[in-house]
Amino acid sequence: MADGVTRREFLKGTGAVITGVAMLDQSAAAERGPGAAAADSGQVEILLHVNGARRSVSVEPQMTLAEVLRGPLDLTGTKIGCDRGACSACTVWLDREPVLSCMTLALDVGEREVVTIEGLAGGGRLHPVQSAFIAQDAVQCGFCTPGMVMSCAALLERNPDPSREDVKAAIAGHLCRCGTTPHVLDAVLEAAKAAKG
Amino acid sequence: MADDGTRTQKHKVGMVPGTLGEIERRVSADEAPPLAPNAQLAWIGKSVHRINGRAKVTGAARFTVDVKLPGMLHGRLLRSPHPHARLASLDLSAAGRHPGVRAVLPVNETAGRAVEAADEKASGSAARRVLYVGDVVAGVAAATPAAAEAALRLIKAEYRPLPFVVDLESARRSGAPVVFERPVHGEGYAGAIAGGAPIEQRGNVRGPNTAGSRGDANAGFAQADVTVAGEYRTQVQTHCCMETHAVVADWRSDGLTVYASTQYTAGVRAELAQIFGLPLSRVRVVVDAMGGGFGSKSSAGNYMRAAVMLSRQAGAPVRIALDRSEEHLDSGNRPATVQKLRVGAKKDGALTAIALDTYGTAGVGLGAGVGFFAQGLYACENFSISQSDVFINAGPGCAMRAPGNVPGAFALEQAIDELAEKLGVDPLALRDRIDPSPVHREERRLGAARFGWSARHAPGADTGPVKRGVGVAQSYWSANINTHAACEVCILRDGSVELFSGVQDIGSGIGTVLAQVVAEELGLRPEDVAIHIGDTNFPAGPPSYGSLTTASITPPARNAAHRALRELMRTAAPALGAAPESLVARGGRITTADGARSLSFREAASRLPAERISAVASRSDDYGGFARKFGEMAQAREPLGGVQFAEVAVDVETGIVRVERVVAAQDCGRPMNPKQTESQVHGGILMGVSYALYENRVIDRNTGHVLNADLEHYKIARSRETPAIDVILLENYQGMSATDAYGIAEPANIATAPAIANAVYNAIGVRVRQLPMTPATILAALGRIPAVRASA
Amino acid sequence: MKRFQWARARGVADAAGSGNATVADAMQSKNGSPRTDAVVLKAGGVDLLDLMKEGLLTPRRVVNLRAVPELGRLVEERDGSMRVGATVTLAQLAAHPAIRARYRALAQAAGNSASPQLRNMATIGGNLLQRPRCWYFRSAAHHCARKGGQTCFAFAGENAYHAIFGQNGCAIVHPSTSATALVAFGAGVELAGAKGRKRVVALEKFFVPPERDIGRENDLKPGEILTAVLLPPPGHGARSAHLRQGELDSFDWPVADVAVVLEMEKDGVCRRASVVLGAAAPVPHRAKAAEDALVGKRIADDVARQAAHAALAGASPLSQNAYKLPIFEALVRRAVLGATGE
Repeated sequence: MADGVTRREFLKGTGAVITGVAMLDQSAAAERGPGAAAADSGQVEILLHVNGARRSVSVEPQMTLAEVLRGPLDLTGTKIGCDRGACSACTVWLDREPVLSCMTLALDVGEREVVTIEGLAGGGRLHPVQSAFIAQDAVQCGFCTPGMVMSCAALLERNPDPSREDVKAAIAGHLCRCGTTPHVLDAVLEAAKAAKG
Repeated sequence: MADDGTRTQKHKVGMVPGTLGEIERRVSADEAPPLAPNAQLAWIGKSVHRINGRAKVTGAARFTVDVKLPGMLHGRLLRSPHPHARLASLDLSAAGRHPGVRAVLPVNETAGRAVEAADEKASGSAARRVLYVGDVVAGVAAATPAAAEAALRLIKAEYRPLPFVVDLESARRSGAPVVFERPVHGEGYAGAIAGGAPIEQRGNVRGPNTAGSRGDANAGFAQADVTVAGEYRTQVQTHCCMETHAVVADWRSDGLTVYASTQYTAGVRAELAQIFGLPLSRVRVVVDAMGGGFGSKSSAGNYMRAAVMLSRQAGAPVRIALDRSEEHLDSGNRPATVQKLRVGAKKDGALTAIALDTYGTAGVGLGAGVGFFAQGLYACENFSISQSDVFINAGPGCAMRAPGNVPGAFALEQAIDELAEKLGVDPLALRDRIDPSPVHREERRLGAARFGWSARHAPGADTGPVKRGVGVAQSYWSANINTHAACEVCILRDGSVELFSGVQDIGSGIGTVLAQVVAEELGLRPEDVAIHIGDTNFPAGPPSYGSLTTASITPPARNAAHRALRELMRTAAPALGAAPESLVARGGRITTADGARSLSFREAASRLPAERISAVASRSDDYGGFARKFGEMAQAREPLGGVQFAEVAVDVETGIVRVERVVAAQDCGRPMNPKQTESQVHGGILMGVSYALYENRVIDRNTGHVLNADLEHYKIARSRETPAIDVILLENYQGMSATDAYGIAEPANIATAPAIANAVYNAIGVRVRQLPMTPATILAALGRIPAVRASA
Repeated sequence: MKRFQWARARGVADAAGSGNATVADAMQSKNGSPRTDAVVLKAGGVDLLDLMKEGLLTPRRVVNLRAVPELGRLVEERDGSMRVGATVTLAQLAAHPAIRARYRALAQAAGNSASPQLRNMATIGGNLLQRPRCWYFRSAAHHCARKGGQTCFAFAGENAYHAIFGQNGCAIVHPSTSATALVAFGAGVELAGAKGRKRVVALEKFFVPPERDIGRENDLKPGEILTAVLLPPPGHGARSAHLRQGELDSFDWPVADVAVVLEMEKDGVCRRASVVLGAAAPVPHRAKAAEDALVGKRIADDVARQAAHAALAGASPLSQNAYKLPIFEALVRRAVLGATGE
């Protein structure tokens, strides 16, 4: 192995808690050869900041944030529509920016704060975008809705007074097969107005 | 009341806006009384918020893919990598030994495809043929998704590849590799005209089926002053439900429970009971939130059967959720078509003949016909139809949002547009002449005014590189009903109310509509009614296809509520000193006719002798009867429709078409929840925009693989492709049932593509008869580049 | 996705040399099974995850560069040039005031790529190094020439989205839209190898056409890290524009994209021009004939038209993509006029 590797710190094996701040050490599990050890070797325990809480969770290196949210963390509000970054159903916030959890490795989240659809409403009070989605019927089957809501709420965070075109741009990566888009646009503009009013 | 258990009652009929007339109907005595027009009602016809809206915007809604059961295993399916091959051997042993694997088995299910006659000469050991890339070969269930995936890679399947064909034109040629060696049978679906004599099958072509022809088309064309003719080509569209097909099957000794993302709980239950030899009482199908279906989740597909088999073998619940690629390959699609259409007319516009000669492909399935639309929309004595299915080595098609009529309208509505131009009349005026529907006439009038149709210019009149144009097209769809549709309404002693039905909410919001109906009848608020649906433990609900859900389930909901209320009033009557039949339920109270005395709903309920009142009602026939009835399916007398106007901008330098504006005037009998209905109309239009301009499944003709089984290269309209949409909802009262309500999802999807095509013609002065209208198609139509070879 | 080991790099010095293969190397095979011994580097990870999910890339180890601080900086140098760290995201790049003001075509190219979410994740380094989107290349069922197989399936197959120039044995188009603009600005890339060896290469030279090596799109060496994109100071009177055309406006790969950078004299005469076509060829395609048609001319509609026509000199469309020619012609003309504000 090249000497560069020894200076780097690799992933700890099962049982180690990684906060993402600490540099990682070479793990016994990680050092086993490729292939044979793959299926059952070392799960890794990491800490994720999710919806304002620290959650300890066991993951495998190849697990995406979407899988970890929906699986071990049981936050099934985040949806997987294509698992390739092409539908945006899996949108969550990382440090308040919308990203695709299906194309983010859980191990790569580190210290960044994750907000999912379950964490958007504070203390039982819906986010204005959520209320407006209900009022404008910006929901049909509802499968794209969690991701769509996260993107729209993120838009209002940085642009409290968006135009219809701004909303279209913010959700351009989202696929809604029910064709609810016109009501989504109405809802976000209404939410912006409500927040101002 | 008459001795035969019927009574007559007067219903308001007619269109709003407009003046209403009155019609007398004889109805069963236990039917609810006539329902007033929407303007006079408290909840029906109001945009009540979706009852599961909060759950859906907070992530709490539980979809099938979210279902987790204790000990649940993860199933995966091995699929053929070959478009056509013999499965020489299948060795599951290594997969079975993989850690965590609990079940592994061969899967030889053929749901959705045409049924091939048995080969009498074949020995029992003849190797199975796989017919398309994605054909299911085996299934595995393991403790984790990773273990299932690893085990899948350990299955050793040996194939002997066979010649294959994946494009429509090649498949028709003599000498083409044959998909089915023996005669097939099977059912098409709405859109193709059903029935007729046994159909011949030669090579990959099954047809022509000429059932549905009438009059003498040749004689009709001989009388014509003007004839238009064209060949129209439409592509394969896939459903692309956001929630892929998914199931959790839980086989136990005392019965089978299946959590399924399905459009038809009762149908899936019946299918699984039959397949697995179980009584209906031992099969339960459950669906809560459901991530779209569009026709593709109507039955127990191969994946669902495999999940049940795996669960039975493993003795544990098994989850299978298709990935996005599998969803494209093997969950149905809208067939491609080629339609040769001729229409003849007299100088005054009267149609003398329509001749439609069409073939198409639903892969290894049947149902590529399109004749229903041209058969029914316009008055024409002479109609000739010839339809053929062509088999190719691709996944079976299935019903997709207005099957048959969507491609059918693309052809006929362009031909009518062309005919109007040849006759020198406005396309709307021509339709006034040939369209017998008064509803369409009103929709044309309202839509044209809202759209500003009169400002339309001559074809190709715009100068500059971006040319605007407008177009109009009509929709036509039978008003379907499924009479195997029932509801139970309960009033509990504490005054709370529940509704139970197996009907599922596909996303249209039927649960909300049911709450409105029951609340209206009982004088309560929709939030006072607990809605329990999507479970076969409840009275059987209708399917969510054919745009029939609302028409099928709202009348029994209202009748069940009505019957429960009658009983409550009998309980309350003594306390109010009035005859039960004179009491009214309004504003949460049971009140005497003069309003002098009343009890709250809750007080009335507290006097119930038993813990609850329960009333179950099933869908009765339409008042005045159906136009057609076959089994539990029926069609109402008056079809559904709509008229859509589109404005497009065509960049003739780049070939890019953008739809800027759509006005849709639609009818669905009585609109139950205008906002939800509008959502569905938006959805129909956007799917139509997407079909017209973007979507196209691409199969490599040399390898037989679908190249865009994804959401990246399978292109679907999104936010920036969304035009400004204006929906006009007509109220059309016909006095046909306890609610007079019908569906809209499919009618809203039919007229969009031809309206856009007609607008493109108006913009550039060149008719585009091929979908999708991509830059390549437009630039070829404009003569800027050589014509593009049509895809399969 | 197959399991892999995960490592996080502390710094560039640390990470340089830790990889033993480029992603392109790791995907090469004679039999269709990618290597399982590769150690590859990851920035945003978008393309890497995509490849791994499809089973096209099965590395032994993934070394994460995403959080290396020195790779994430965007610095304006005193001489007016800019140094864009490799892990600067497309969103950060598109939003940066200096980029917007002085490298408008780049801000447009980066800002209209992919989707907002992906722009928050995708880095400029990863964007330049991502593998092509050709649907045969991305299909594990098609062992194409670029992955070590014998055939380019596109020539006899479905090639509507493929190249119209330079398909020497392979008809991919380069997937980076930002690269179109960067090449037009004469950008370079800084690369760090093991033991601190650094080199700077003009981006235009960094990309590798199929006739040079069909198995890779660029000259990255195993273990080497792309550390920064270097933007030279814009020339005097420089104006730029980037235009893209997808079938969809919302979320789609362009079927054509064009970057134009013009240096204008005060009298309105074009002194220098670069015209680069994206989604046109296996590497960003410099349209030299179009540049020649602009230099020394006052930019007006007829000049733009001549340049647009010249841009397509030598194009050789495949069976299904001739439609790209008129689109490129329109985009070049519009971008030239757009850059000069005509």
